[in-house]
Amino acid sequence: MFLTCIGLSLVGLFSPSGWGQGIADTLRGTVLAPLVWLQARAEEGRTSRARLKAITVQRDSASYLAQGIPSLVAENERLRQLLTLSRRISTPYVAAEVLHQTQATDGRTLLLDVGRSDLVSEFDPVVAPEGLIGMVLSAGERSSVVMTWAHPEFRVSAYTVGGNASGVVAPSLSSMGGEGALEFRGVPYRDSVPGGTLVLSSGLGGVYPKGIPVGTVTGVVREQAGWERVYRLLPAANPGAVAHVLVLVSPSGTSMERAFPSDSALLAMRMDSIAEVRRTDSLEAAKVRRADSLAAAKARATAAAKARATAAAKVRQTDSLAVPKDSAR
Amino acid sequence: MSVSRANRIQLVLVMALLVVLHFYLRPRLWSARVSPDFLLIALVFFAMRAGPGAGALAGFVVGVVNDALTPAAFGAGALAHTVVGYLAAWGRAIFFADNLLVNAAFVAVALWVRDLLLLLASGTSRGRLLVELTLNSPLQALSTAVFALLVLAAFREWFAIRLDV
Repeated sequence: MFLTCIGLSLVGLFSPSGWGQGIADTLRGTVLAPLVWLQARAEEGRTSRARLKAITVQRDSASYLAQGIPSLVAENERLRQLLTLSRRISTPYVAAEVLHQTQATDGRTLLLDVGRSDLVSEFDPVVAPEGLIGMVLSAGERSSVVMTWAHPEFRVSAYTVGGNASGVVAPSLSSMGGEGALEFRGVPYRDSVPGGTLVLSSGLGGVYPKGIPVGTVTGVVREQAGWERVYRLLPAANPGAVAHVLVLVSPSGTSMERAFPSDSALLAMRMDSIAEVRRTDSLEAAKVRRADSLAAAKARATAAAKARATAAAKVRQTDSLAVPKDSAR
Repeated sequence: MSVSRANRIQLVLVMALLVVLHFYLRPRLWSARVSPDFLLIALVFFAMRAGPGAGALAGFVVGVVNDALTPAAFGAGALAHTVVGYLAAWGRAIFFADNLLVNAAFVAVALWVRDLLLLLASGTSRGRLLVELTLNSPLQALSTAVFALLVLAAFREWFAIRLDV
């Protein structure tokens, strides 16, 4: 019995990964469906308290702001819209919950509670509000497995936000880099990328759409014979910390640059919105001033017309008195 | 109802409770890499009271379940749990398995060995392996052993464990 079980385990371990994924999908969809359901309920229960707190805070903030200046309330709503990723994404997406995982290999793959019945399919990109998480490796009927950027087989074509360097991002496998880091490989030696530069997906390859933040450059890992530099990246999103993600279900040919604005772009949009509010306020004030000045001018004109009419009446009265005296003479 | 059948039903009830705890309570606890592994407790308790063959089979089933729900390297969990189930059944013959603390220590060692085999079989890098085996696995082994002690203390009649610690 022991040897049979060991043999079956080894067959599962060394068989093509597709077989293992297929068996796992089948098990999750049939025998283990009640356990997956139980996990999903537990995950909801775990996050519901935090969500309730967040909603309470939002409600309190909203009631506080509702007592303030209406333009500030409107601006707050606009900023909230900017910060809500799902409202910014123009492509179809599916919101998914990350199910709890039990083994020590957490982080390389994630199990989501959405599958083919939710229109999720293989190679669909998975994003968090901070940036790229990975892609769907296999999709079952009601669950799917995500290959995160920590997986050894993860690759994404990327470019720097200034557009001066492009390459391929892969997980760092060296002991110095650590598993929690990414590497930006294939950057030509002549293209120097300063620390702090944001690296985005380029859209090449057809899996990940253009413009999703992948990470930030933190330094050079190695230089190879004067023709290539490899940079270390601090990943934009942490798969181990996410509880909810978005699966982009038909992202081909779309750009995500507008969905993930950089900090400076967000600041610029915020300044624009403030300027717009100020401009609106100043326009309102100008309208009031113009109405006041028009009313004053009208009053002055009316008074002048009345004075002119009075003077004319006096002149006519004087003339009528003078005419009978001349005729008597 | 015979005594042995009653014992089997009691054992099945405890196992079912541990399975429910694993999938319903555990996600609500703190970090997944530190919180108790209820399935492993169930496996070790079962293997120590069954035998090497049944222990290996139970380990294989638990491993496949874990592999299906954490599909990093399918088969690694099955391999690790099969070995742990088999060794736990053999360990009973070698050690004094009726002692409460020995049972808890069994669970702790089984969890560490399971993690070692799992990480090796799934091709984890050396740095991550060291971190897992020296930090996360001992902490999880400790929390799992503490919970195993609680289970044994609560169901000591059912498990026929003497409290001569």
